Amino acid sequence: MPGTQSAVSLTDVSKTYYRGEPVYALDGVSLEIPRGSYTAIMGPSGTGKSTLMNLVGCLDTPTSGRVSIDGRDAGGLSDRERTRLRGSEIGFVFQTFNLMPRLTALENVRLPQLFQDVPRGERTDRARTLLERVGLADRTEHFPNELSGGQRQRVALARALVNDPAIVLADEPSGNLDTETEAEVLDLFSEFHEAGTTLVVVTHERHVAERADRIVHLLDGAIERIERLDASDSTDGDRDRSSGAAP
Amino acid sequence: MMVRESLRLSWRAITGHKLRSALTIVGIVIGIAAVITFVTLGASLQAGIIGDISPDDQRSLYGWAADPDVEGGPGAGAQPIFSDSDLAAVADLEEVDAAYGYAPVGTRSIASGDQRLPQGDGVIATGPSYVRESTLADGRQFETGAREAVLNPAAAGQFEENVSVGDELTITLLGGGQTDVEVVGITDSSEGLSPFEGFENSPRVYVPTDPFYAEQVGTEGQDTGDGGLRFAAIVIEAPSADDGAVDDARSAAEAYFESDDSDAGEFLGEDLAVSLETSTELLQQLQDVLEIFQSFIVGIAAISLVVASIGIANIMLVSVTERTREIGIMKAVGAQKRDVLGLFLLEAVVLGLIGAVLGTVLGLVVGYLGAQYIDLPVVYPLEYVVLAVAVGIVVGIGSGLYPAWRAARTDPIEALRYE
Ligand SMILES: Nc1ncnc2c1ncn2[C@@H]1O[C@H](COP(=O)(O)OP(=O)(O)OP(=O)(O)O)[C@@H](O)[C@H]1O
Ligand SMILES: [Mg+2]
Repeated sequence: MPGTQSAVSLTDVSKTYYRGEPVYALDGVSLEIPRGSYTAIMGPSGTGKSTLMNLVGCLDTPTSGRVSIDGRDAGGLSDRERTRLRGSEIGFVFQTFNLMPRLTALENVRLPQLFQDVPRGERTDRARTLLERVGLADRTEHFPNELSGGQRQRVALARALVNDPAIVLADEPSGNLDTETEAEVLDLFSEFHEAGTTLVVVTHERHVAERADRIVHLLDGAIERIERLDASDSTDGDRDRSSGAAP
Repeated sequence: MMVRESLRLSWRAITGHKLRSALTIVGIVIGIAAVITFVTLGASLQAGIIGDISPDDQRSLYGWAADPDVEGGPGAGAQPIFSDSDLAAVADLEEVDAAYGYAPVGTRSIASGDQRLPQGDGVIATGPSYVRESTLADGRQFETGAREAVLNPAAAGQFEENVSVGDELTITLLGGGQTDVEVVGITDSSEGLSPFEGFENSPRVYVPTDPFYAEQVGTEGQDTGDGGLRFAAIVIEAPSADDGAVDDARSAAEAYFESDDSDAGEFLGEDLAVSLETSTELLQQLQDVLEIFQSFIVGIAAISLVVASIGIANIMLVSVTERTREIGIMKAVGAQKRDVLGLFLLEAVVLGLIGAVLGTVLGLVVGYLGAQYIDLPVVYPLEYVVLAVAVGIVVGIGSGLYPAWRAARTDPIEALRYE
């Protein structure tokens, strides 16, 4: 039910790419992502995880079906409104980082703020704090090509969080991180989750997924099954978590 | 989106491709520099000429009668129709202070003591007030009817022993006759005193029309019984330099020449009309020529600017394609169309502006050196500097508009996939 408590609601969403042979990247996916929930998405490579994230992130539009953000049909929004949503409501960590090559780490993190007219002072403060939180306090003036893969990933993460979005979409945010840094990043996610942020994290790794309330298993563009991890959240939960779960 | 941050992003993009940006800017620099150089030279030239007109000269009207179709400078195509009695009558008009003829005296040589120098032109027969008191460095004006002369420094200094007030000169006329004159004054400058002479420096000797012009006409046998002495060029002085006074003098003189009392009047008609103009009005013609020349240069510069705009547009298009992915990132993190449009436009405007500023500086420097070289007082046409900067901005916007629009339209998801 695409009611008010759903941050994101997918109804029978399909995405087909026509490259000679049609590629059914997503095929009739229906999914409710409640506000404040923490969802992990798992599945083999090429099953449509990134495609799904792009749709939820208002970057792409479905071939058929309906994507609602906060109860509003994303397909019915103007380009301007969708852009505004992307800028202020959604934080996206791309699988490929997508950092601006000619901007420093700090400038990259501040970029989303520029388009939201955040006052200057606040801007630098929050961007710096986030870089510190992801362990890059000493890399603020480095350009992306002067950073390691894991460092870039963390800059991308800080950038996604800088406008304090209601929904954070992270496509394999820990793919390049060592165990320790990964734990820090995941702690940061948990913290945002506790503060009420809706999180959707794509991952190949079970232990990363287990931080979430539930794991959505994708297979060949369709939902194979939804695995609930939170005991407080009815049905087949197999793990107890005390964090603020979805209603 | 904030101007400061936008500027920073644009600057990064421009400095990211230094050579490319520099080459783009060169086109604008050349166009703007050409305009500023020639406008500076033009303004300096005007100042150099107009600076030679003393305020006292503003009340003089330079007159001649010529076919109205004849083009040329002051006195071009002038016919000798103004008689002595015409001048006397005009001088008697209430609106007129003085009226006298102006005529070069044909000479062979001038001698001071034992030294004789060839002198073909530069001896000018005219009225006493033609040499204004304010231009006299020494002595006084000559008097009508007297064998007196006023020399300019170039004329006085050409003899081994400088000629000074009180000296005697012997002038040999073209016809062979000789006449002695007493030097009664020396002027302070060797430039011409009126547009009839031109403004260049050269030796000049000013003498009264009576007796010198009368004698010359007599000796050359031109007095053919048609009313005596006739002048081709005249000077009419208004009592003051006010526009009103000068115009009144002009109308009064014109009215007289058209009347039956005038000797000149009988010759006037469709083929012969009197022109009475001030130095400023005469210079206007020169300025008109100068302006045509300037428009020509500005036209060439405009073409250069169009080429420069195409250059910027081209660079911007390449840049938009190159930065497709960056545009995608910006749009993905919330950049609206107008933000992207603004960023790329700003980049084009910055390029245009840098070009305009460099071009202006270069133009001013070259203009300054040029004016110095031809010995003119340097005048900077400041309104053109403002114009140049405006042109830089306009060129930037004009050439950046389409590329920026292309960038703004970019679909973020397509752009992010762009490798
Ligand atoms: N622009 C596109 N054009 C054609 N096919 C595409 C396009 N984008 C994705 N696909 C196809 O859609 C399918 C899903 O791709 P997607 O990127 O969503 O996979 P994924 O689950 O994120 O994989 P991975 O774990 O490797 O990141 C793939 O088979 C891919 O080839
Ligand atoms: Mg993927």
